[in-house]
Parts: sequence; structure tokens; C-alpha cells
Amino acid sequence: MSLFWIVVHQLAEIEAMAASKKVITREEWEKKLKDVKIKKEDMNKLVMNFLVTEGYVDAAEKFRKESGTEPDIDLATITDRMAVKKAVQCGNVEDAIEKVNDLNPEILDTNPQLFFHLQQQRLIELIRNGKVEEALEFAQEELAPRGEENQSFLEELERTVALLAFEDVSNCPVGELLDISQRLKTASEVNAAILTSQSHEKDPKLPSLLKMLIWAQNQLDEKAAYPRINDLSTAMLEDPTV
Amino acid sequence: MPSSASASVSVSASASASASSTTTTASGAHSDLLTRLTSSEFEVQLKALRELKNRIIGNRTKKLSFIKLGLVPPVAAILESKAQAQVQAQAQAQAQARHDSNLLVQSAAALGSFACGFDAGVQAVLDAGVFPNLFLLLSHPDDKVVDAGARSLRMIYQSKLAPKCDFLQEKNMEFLLSLLNSENENVTGLGASIIIHSCESTAEQKALCHAGVVKKLISLLKGSLSQRDNSLESLATVMKNNVEAVSEFVGSESGRALSSVIGLTKDRYPRTRLLASMCLIVIRNTSACYLQDIGIKTKLVHLLLELHDDPGQVGDEAPFAFSSLISEKPDLQKLAFEANAIDKLYNHLQKSQLHPKRFQGILLALADLCSKLESCRSRFLSLQALNLVSDALTHDSSEVRTAACMCLRCVSRSIKNLCAGNFLNEMIAPPLVQLLDDPSTSVQVAAISVIGNIAVDFTMRRSLFVQCGDNVCKEGIFMEFTASSLASVICDPEPFVQEQALALIRNLVDGCIKSVELVFTEDGMILDAVRRQLQNASTDEIWIQGMYVLSNVASGTEFHKEAVMHQLIPQEDNGTQSFILKFLQSNESQLRTAAVWAIVNLTFPSCPGSFSRLVKLHSAGIVSQIKSMVNDPCPDVKLRVRTALGQFTTFGDCST
Repeated sequence: MSLFWIVVHQLAEIEAMAASKKVITREEWEKKLKDVKIKKEDMNKLVMNFLVTEGYVDAAEKFRKESGTEPDIDLATITDRMAVKKAVQCGNVEDAIEKVNDLNPEILDTNPQLFFHLQQQRLIELIRNGKVEEALEFAQEELAPRGEENQSFLEELERTVALLAFEDVSNCPVGELLDISQRLKTASEVNAAILTSQSHEKDPKLPSLLKMLIWAQNQLDEKAAYPRINDLSTAMLEDPTV
Repeated sequence: MPSSASASVSVSASASASASSTTTTASGAHSDLLTRLTSSEFEVQLKALRELKNRIIGNRTKKLSFIKLGLVPPVAAILESKAQAQVQAQAQAQAQARHDSNLLVQSAAALGSFACGFDAGVQAVLDAGVFPNLFLLLSHPDDKVVDAGARSLRMIYQSKLAPKCDFLQEKNMEFLLSLLNSENENVTGLGASIIIHSCESTAEQKALCHAGVVKKLISLLKGSLSQRDNSLESLATVMKNNVEAVSEFVGSESGRALSSVIGLTKDRYPRTRLLASMCLIVIRNTSACYLQDIGIKTKLVHLLLELHDDPGQVGDEAPFAFSSLISEKPDLQKLAFEANAIDKLYNHLQKSQLHPKRFQGILLALADLCSKLESCRSRFLSLQALNLVSDALTHDSSEVRTAACMCLRCVSRSIKNLCAGNFLNEMIAPPLVQLLDDPSTSVQVAAISVIGNIAVDFTMRRSLFVQCGDNVCKEGIFMEFTASSLASVICDPEPFVQEQALALIRNLVDGCIKSVELVFTEDGMILDAVRRQLQNASTDEIWIQGMYVLSNVASGTEFHKEAVMHQLIPQEDNGTQSFILKFLQSNESQLRTAAVWAIVNLTFPSCPGSFSRLVKLHSAGIVSQIKSMVNDPCPDVKLRVRTALGQFTTFGDCST
């Protein structure tokens, strides 16, 4: 996170200088930016960290060859992780559970909340496919005991089973459970758990760095007018409006 | 990444097909799984193992029902045959080796899952005799088998039921070091688990230090996330109450090891922060010379309070770590009080559906906070926290009930509130008394000690008003008891319960005549029970409390004094020595004090029967015994002996 500390440091400097709101011209700003030395390898590591965490295995492989940056995790494990994630995203939850268990049986055994969410997703898929009887039997056999163990699971289970009560699920109060976003939510929860089990950070560093950039700019806005980055996708410096 | 429409159709079809197959097997054909596990065909066996594994992972109910169906032994048998086969046959055909590896991975994973967080499962796995075979997997050529074996063993070592490893045996120590030096993360993790589970005595801690384990663990602090956590927990285990290990650690790498642990209290993972703070607490509590500056103390207090907010296991464990930080340390209790600890813990206590472990932990943390500082007790009482704690007296978990008693006991040390009668109400007294019949001994003991506190008489020499209030309080307690229930706790099989019960009675009868009379209800069965304990029990603690009961009763009316005489000097002379003589000759000064005190009360000069009692005491050899104690080494005893002798002389010298 050295980049972040550079920004904070500069901010403190500016704060010390400016009693009133100071105007910093593009020229001065760019000169300051040039003085900051960022190692190319650090930037590469940041990119690699993003690709690996998000599971872009092919891109990571290519990037490794081109930049010589070694990933901090075995790329083969990414393939397995992505297979699990994809299975959930496609609604094939049972398959995903089996894959997670093959990867590391501890994950679901020691993470009751995640296990419940996967089973809940399985129930949602049964309901989506109109398999009412199976859904009920599954809820009774697999989910109800989890609800007994944990009150908050019970409430979520009730909400899920409520789906069965509506003819038109798209218009029912718990309809969002059938949304694709629910699958994505469950998928990212599994993804994070697998990463943690591999002693890897569950979130990539890059987005939090961007969040810090925005935070730092907001802080700076109160003290100075300066060339700002408004569009993160282009990272163009825009002249201060004075 | 949304899949294409066609893909999702085919996938959901297969999902429903497998779901229906699950539901049909779930409804009955478990025996089918048993048959398949014992099949001679590799494919059938492997499929059955995987199915079993996937059914039990995350599912405690299934684990239990499969254990009951006897599915653990066949899984253990598969593992055993393949683990042994691997040792014997060097050059197996490749295909066969792959088959065996698959079976080993699946069977080890299934056994690990049976054992995961579930003592009944650990027991079943141990009963199946598969434990030593799991160790064989650690030297298997296939990494996946090693991983599976190490994971399963780690699961077993997380239970109290796992066999201890004796580090004092050289080959065990060598084996442990080989685990810690492994390249495989699961294997080093197993090494750490074995230390955490097995290292208990100082000798074991020292053996580990001498073998270089502290150094190894410090190097693991720089490893992966899980290695770091394992290392922190193992370090805490090795350093606990072991000054030598602490100074080795603190001096390591010119203090950098300690700094890195301090640094980890700011880690982004709550689990790591918790373990790092536990490690620092162990260092602090073991060696008073480290980590004493106010900065680190305040930091630990704030960190641990903040970790209570974690919804998972970390939050469940945080109160216990907090307790170990502040227990018996008024300076830290004060810091915690200033950090608003009482309010914060109270807020957690208010949440519904608290996990029993967390509930217990918070109550114990509150107990420690209120153990010494009146400011904490006042804050606690002003929040009406008492209501929540009295609810906890009837909680399903015996640990929670015990913790609630301990909390009440510490809060009821507040003399101000005790005198105001704030603890004796229908919310607290009836459930407390019921806990004396609790199936758990620790609950009984804890309950008695609270009742003892509430009944204690601080106010004898204060105003009459307070005294009346106090007696009402004591009678209130007696109303909840019957004499027979008290007599039965006095004779409880647990010595600790006996002691606490006697201490309670001692407090109940201390003071005015009216409260002494309470022990004479139901034909004096309480007094008989006390005598039985004085004659038959064999610990000083019980004798001391029992003797004080008699001493307090002997401060009552003539009738009361005679009753005590009757207990001290039995009518029929069967040659046995009176227990009071033995107590007067005891090496325990407190016991001598209590015994002399009883004699002082029995021979009080202004009482009409005192002279005749003195004569009886004389012929029992008690007077001469007291005379011989005139220069007792204990000032307390000496003082009372002299009081007694002074009283004797007012009757003239009856020894002639």
C-alpha cells in the first residue's frame, strides 16, 4: 500500500502549507507526481494480485509470461476455484458443494453460514425449477436441522420457503431470492471462503487502492484546488476549476 | 459470469436428477451405503466414500446418524488396508497406486469430517482404531494424501478426546519437529495443533523450548495466514506460566519477534488480532516485567472489547481473552472501566440468541470486572444488568448457569448494595436456591458461594435498621431452603460443595439469636449433619467452616450452647477423642482459631451454665489443651486463647 502512504504524506505537506485553500497548477502537480518513484514490479504485482484473486487464470498465465511476475498462489488452484464459482453461478449447487469438498473438506465443515447459504441456494434452484415436493423434502431433511442450530438461519429458511406460497414469484415480496444476483452473492461467498482457506486475501488490493484514492482526493478538496482524477477508467488529470 | 441459456438448462436438469436421488436415499437405504463401502470393486467403494463424505460435511445430524449406523468402522477399514498396502508394496502398478490414493484421500476426508467439531465423531473415529494409520499417510508420496491425512488429524487434535503426545519421549519430539519443518502447510499446521493440544506441564514446555520449537514457531510467524495463526496459538501454549520460554521469545531476534506479534494486533484478520493479543496477554501474565506500559495495556483493552463485535468464533472467544487480561488486576480493570467495558458487555448481553459459549464468556468477563472495583459494580447495577444475569441462572447450559453465579458473586461484593437488600428478591433468590440441586457440581458450588455472599453479615455493628433488613434477608434465604435440603448439601459427595455449604450456614447463623434458631428446625438435623462432617471429613477447609458454624451457634442462648456442647462432648464415653481436641492441635492456625473461639463462646462468664460446661470441658482434656496454647505462634489463636483463659479464671481454678 505504499502508494497510499505517498498520497497521505503529500496531503499532510499540503495541509501544512495551506492555511487558506491553495491552488496547485497542473505543472506543479505533475512535477510532484514525477518525484514519486513507483517500482514497475510493484505495479505488476498489483495487477497479478487482481487477476489471481478474481480468477482470470488465462490472463494471469499470460501476464506472468509477459511481465515475469510470479503469482502468489498456484495457478492450478484458480481453475478449481473458478469451477466451483461457475457451478454456483449456473445454479448447479450440488456440484459446487462436491467440488468444494474435494478441494478442502474443512471449508464447509467449519463455516456453517456458508454451508447454509449453499444449501439455501440449492433449495432456491429446486423452487425455481418447480420441484415443489423435492424442495419441501430437501428443506425438511437438510435445512431445518441447520435452522434449529442457529436462529438466524431459521429466519432465512422461512423467507426462502415462502417462495413456494406464491404463484407469481416475480411479484412476491421475497422474489429477489430468485434473482441472478442471489446466485452471484452465494458464488462470491464461496469464492472468498476458498481463498481464505488457501491463506490468500479474499479481496484484490486494487479496488481498495482506488477507494483510498477517492478518499484522499476528497480530503484534499477541502484544502486545495488541484488537478483531480475524476474518471477512474482513464485516470486523466482534470484542471482545477478556480 | 452468466452461462449461456443452453448450458443452464442442461445443468439444472442434472441438478434436479441428483437432488431426487439424494432424497430417495435419505429416506431409507443407508444399509445400501454400508454394502457399497465394503464392496470389493474400487469404483463402487470410491463412489460410496465420496457420497458419504458429501453427505456429512457441514451436517451434524447426518454425522450422528451415520455414526449410529456404524459407518465409521468400514471407512476406517478402507483407510487401514490402503495405508498399510502403501508401506508394503514399493513398486505398485501406477493405476493401482492412483486408485489407492483416491480411496485414501476420500476415506481420510470422511473420517476428518466425522471428527470435525464433534466429540461423538472423534470418539467413533478413535474407537475404529484408525488414528495410527492416519499418521502413516503423512509420509505418502502423493501430496493430496498427505494433505488429507494431516487435515483429518488436525480435526481430531482439536478435540479434548484426542490422545496426548508425550514430548518428553525423544522420538515423539523428533516427529513433532519433522512436522514443523515440513514444506506442507497442512503438516506444519498439524504440528502446531499437536502442541496446542498436548503441551500442559512445565516440563513439556521446557522440553519444547530446548528442542528449538520457539525458534521454529517464530519463523512460522512470517509464513502464510494459517501458519501465522497456528504459530501464535502454539507460542501462547508454550509460554503460558513459563518464564524461561517468555524470556527466550522476548529476546529473540533482538526483540523483533515480540514487535511482530505486537504488529499483528493490527492485522486485518480478526482471528489473527485475537491470537496475537492472547499471546501478549500470556507474556504479560507470565512475566510481570514485560508489556507494562500504559499504551499497550490500553491498546489490548480496546482491541479485545472491539473483537466482541465479531459475529463468529472470534467474538465467542474474545470475552475469555478479555478476562485473562483483567483478572486479578485492578489497574487493568480500571482501564477497562474507563473504556466503557461494562456498557459494551451489557449491550452484547442484551442480544437474543447468544451462543452459549459467548454468553458464558461475557458473564465471566463481567464477573472479573466487578470482582474488585466498586465503580464497576455500581455501573453494572445502574444498567439493570442484574435482570439479564438472573435470567441466565435458568439457562440450559450448565456453563452459563455457573458463569451467572460467578457474576452475581462478584457484583454482590458491593457492601452498599448488599446492605440495601438489592440482591435478595424473587428474581434471584429462588432460582439460586434451586441451583443447589443442580446436576452439575460446579453450578452447585458457584450457587452456594453467591448465597454465602448475600447472607454474609457485614452490618452487625451498624444501625439497628440495617440489622433488621439484614435478618429479613437471611430468613428470606432460609425460606427458600428447608433444613433437610441444607443438610443434604452439607453431606454432598463433593468436598468442595460441603465446604461451601458449611460456609453458607456459618454466614446464616452469624449474628442474632433469631438466625441461630433457624438451624434448630426439623430436630436440629443441620447440626447433626455438621457434626458428621466434623467427624468424618478429612480436609481442613471443611473443618474450619464446620467449626465456625458451631462457634456461631455457641454464641446464642443457653439452649444453643448446650446443643453445641452435646456435639463436642458425646454423652456416652466410648473412648474416642473429641474432634475439637484434634482441631486444637492442628497445624492449620485458622482451624485452631475457630476451635478456640467456640470454647470462648461456651464459657462466657455471665451465662448461668458456663461453669458446668467448663467442668465438662475440663474433664474432656480441653481446658488443659487450651492452657498449653498460651504462646501459640499465630497471634489470632494466641489472642483468643488468652480470652478463654481469662474467662476460666473468673470461675476460680477448676483444674484443681
